[in-house]
Amino acid sequence: MTNEDLRREVNDWLAAHWRAPGTIIQSMWETNAETRAWHTKVFEARWSVPSWPVEWFGRGLDDEQTNIVIEAFAQVGAPGTGQDRFNLPANTLLAAASDELKLTLIPGLLKKDITTCLLYSEPSAGSDLAGVRTRAERDGDRFIVNGQKVWTSGATVADYGMLICRTDWDVPKHSGLSFFFLPMKQAGVEVRPLRQITGEAHFNEVFFTDAVVPASHLVGGLNRGWRVLQTALAYERSSMGARARGSRHGAADDLVALARAAGRLDDPLLRQDIARTVALRRLNTLNNARAKAELEQGTSSSIMSLGKLAMSRILHEEARVRTAIIGVESLLAGETQPTADDVNFLALNAYFTSIGGGTDQIQKNIISERVLGLPREPELDRNIPFKQVRSG
Amino acid sequence: MTIATTLEERRAIAETVGKLLAEESGEKRVRAVMETRDGIDRELWSGLARMGIAGLLVPSRFGGAGLGPVELELVAEEIGAALACTPFLSSSVLAAGLLTASQDEAACARLLPGIAAGTTIATVALTGERGSWQPVDVTVRAEGTKDGANDGAFLSGTASYVMHAGVADVLLVAAATSDGLGLFEVASHGAGVAIEALPTFDRTLRLDRIAFAHAPATRIGGAGRPAIDAALRLALVGRAGEQAGGARRIFDMTVEYTKTRIQFGRPIGGFQAIKHMAAELLLEAESATSAARDAALQLAQDHDGADEAIDLAAFACADAFAKIAATAIQMHGGIAFTWEHPAHLYLRRARAYSYLLGSSDLHRERFLTKISAQSHDGSVAP
Ligand SMILES: Cc1cc2nc3c(=O)[nH]c(=O)nc-3n(C[C@H](O)[C@H](O)[C@H](O)COP(=O)(O)OP(=O)(O)OC[C@H]3O[C@@H](n4cnc5c(N)ncnc54)[C@H](O)[C@@H]3O)c2cc1C
Repeated sequence: MTNEDLRREVNDWLAAHWRAPGTIIQSMWETNAETRAWHTKVFEARWSVPSWPVEWFGRGLDDEQTNIVIEAFAQVGAPGTGQDRFNLPANTLLAAASDELKLTLIPGLLKKDITTCLLYSEPSAGSDLAGVRTRAERDGDRFIVNGQKVWTSGATVADYGMLICRTDWDVPKHSGLSFFFLPMKQAGVEVRPLRQITGEAHFNEVFFTDAVVPASHLVGGLNRGWRVLQTALAYERSSMGARARGSRHGAADDLVALARAAGRLDDPLLRQDIARTVALRRLNTLNNARAKAELEQGTSSSIMSLGKLAMSRILHEEARVRTAIIGVESLLAGETQPTADDVNFLALNAYFTSIGGGTDQIQKNIISERVLGLPREPELDRNIPFKQVRSG
Repeated sequence: MTIATTLEERRAIAETVGKLLAEESGEKRVRAVMETRDGIDRELWSGLARMGIAGLLVPSRFGGAGLGPVELELVAEEIGAALACTPFLSSSVLAAGLLTASQDEAACARLLPGIAAGTTIATVALTGERGSWQPVDVTVRAEGTKDGANDGAFLSGTASYVMHAGVADVLLVAAATSDGLGLFEVASHGAGVAIEALPTFDRTLRLDRIAFAHAPATRIGGAGRPAIDAALRLALVGRAGEQAGGARRIFDMTVEYTKTRIQFGRPIGGFQAIKHMAAELLLEAESATSAARDAALQLAQDHDGADEAIDLAAFACADAFAKIAATAIQMHGGIAFTWEHPAHLYLRRARAYSYLLGSSDLHRERFLTKISAQSHDGSVAP
């Protein structure tokens, strides 16, 4: 098929099917009827994952053709395609799961029938994720899970949890981990919401008491969970580097508009600050585009790993400049103060990106070690059986 | 303008230039040349001219390679990485760009072939003592010139921060006329021209102040502004490329050093304070490269957003280079505080290029003016 044919096909399809509906949710852990209905249509027409093989719900398109599809959807503002690039659970499954599990879960994930959350962090294992202590024990064709997770975003609503847990305590910490897709809606799983600094309660504590996961939901093999986790983390970090949540009232996203509304667009110092900050966002976009192009040209690119760190800096810098723009108004809060509320919310929510998904410090460790080849951090617990490892 | 070369051809150009510079313009050579009176490496320059680099932007009918901003940027990355002492930016970019944009066929035919061959060094005087590179700052005046009249003009006043005027054969000078800014050709050794070398902080760069006292001049082209703007766009893309290349080179040298310097029984690159500085600088280096290449591409394709992309590259590359060169010294420790160590050469270049052709503050202000005009009429989403 030529690019022209493809462009025509996708445009015709969109013209026939896309009607901007009420609310389509773009979140991993939430969905609604409209979101489901639209994503199901996209899935059935095979636009969800254009670059995936035909036997796995895709069209086997190359990068350039996939871009054509993504651009056509973007042009009319329709979501649902390009999931081959950003759908974290679906991509993790495609990379590592058995065919049976792929068939069971991927269609639902692409159709937004199934939602997921990330059961990684624990009270004693945050940055040091290989130190998790939640255990899974084999019991026939299922595993029994006991332990606790924390900071689990979306756990109250998610259907499945992507669980990293310990299946062998006698080997070093990275070698005894397994990765499961655990059904969340069961008696052995208790979810307790935690109130965040933003006042919201998106993240939760999750307790497992003899929770059950079918052995068929093991991904990547027993005790081979660390590799699967690396794949999943890479998708999470690259999407955190490309996008971030905006403000609640939409009153403070655009720095120039905010300064204009505050009557301060002529302040020369603020202008310098705004230009500096807007530039950071542009530079991140240019970096991401160059990374993509370099990958397509077959040169490996170090930029891929920089996006999340860049985004963290962007969000914190923007928050600082927004606060400077509104000044004393930032003392205020609440629904009657949409501008101050947005500015304050964004200042707090910036930590979502600088802590969640691996802190800035951990990102810098990773970049310096994996990209620049500097020596690894000393790890006192790397080569000893996990049961001898200190925790706290 | 378009992109005349393929990706493979561009890679080959960058590689050939990089190789020549590695062989002929290593640190030792740069240090030797920067101590000479003229401050330029004539041997290297003729080597680069033979490769077509001196005439990179010169149209082929005037003996040049007829290439554009994208190739310019790539070559500039190499030249900037090596801190090569050449009149590339002054003669091959600013002067050649100005002449081509002037559309003065006679002047082009007279000067461009020599520039392309590397046998004529031309430079451009665009700013006065305030060094803003803004038209308001031009303090040279032209007298005795009628609209469109091509000779019989005389220049008076002072131009400053002129690159390589001391070695230039030809000066191209912006001067106020009765019909706005005009461009003039002046023989550098002619009557009424007094060139005084400025003591520069970056010794790989030569700057001069030129006092004109009723100096005979030949007018080039018509209105000066459009040609000046066009030449400055190219020069800023070239500057951005040199900055991105310089930043990358001193960054790479620094990372290598941290792998070999041992303290407390291990390489200092294993200390987190050092690793984190390195990771932050990598982001700066990559962003500078992205910005410089995007500006070049937009200019080559004549995109509406080209000016905005050039402003962005101008301050982003300047600031990134300055931060990287400065932090590199800290990461090296005492060794980089010595004159013998190359780190300060990069810091000097980074500081010089933060102001040459316009400051970061100026480019940020221009950038914001453009984007705020767009966000006001609603034509561009944030
Ligand atoms: C908004 C939000 C949403 C989240 N959502 C989820 C989720 O859905 N699922 C999930 O599993 N987790 C989630 N997390 C948890 C997140 O991944 C962890 O908080 C994060 O990895 C850090 O772990 P920690 O909180 O235990 O901090 P710690 O690991 O205790 O870190 C404390 C401090 O020490 C620093 N530090 C630790 N180790 C090193 C080191 N080696 N080098 C240098 N500095 C170091 C850290 O950078 C940090 O500053 C979320 C977190 C937030 C803030």
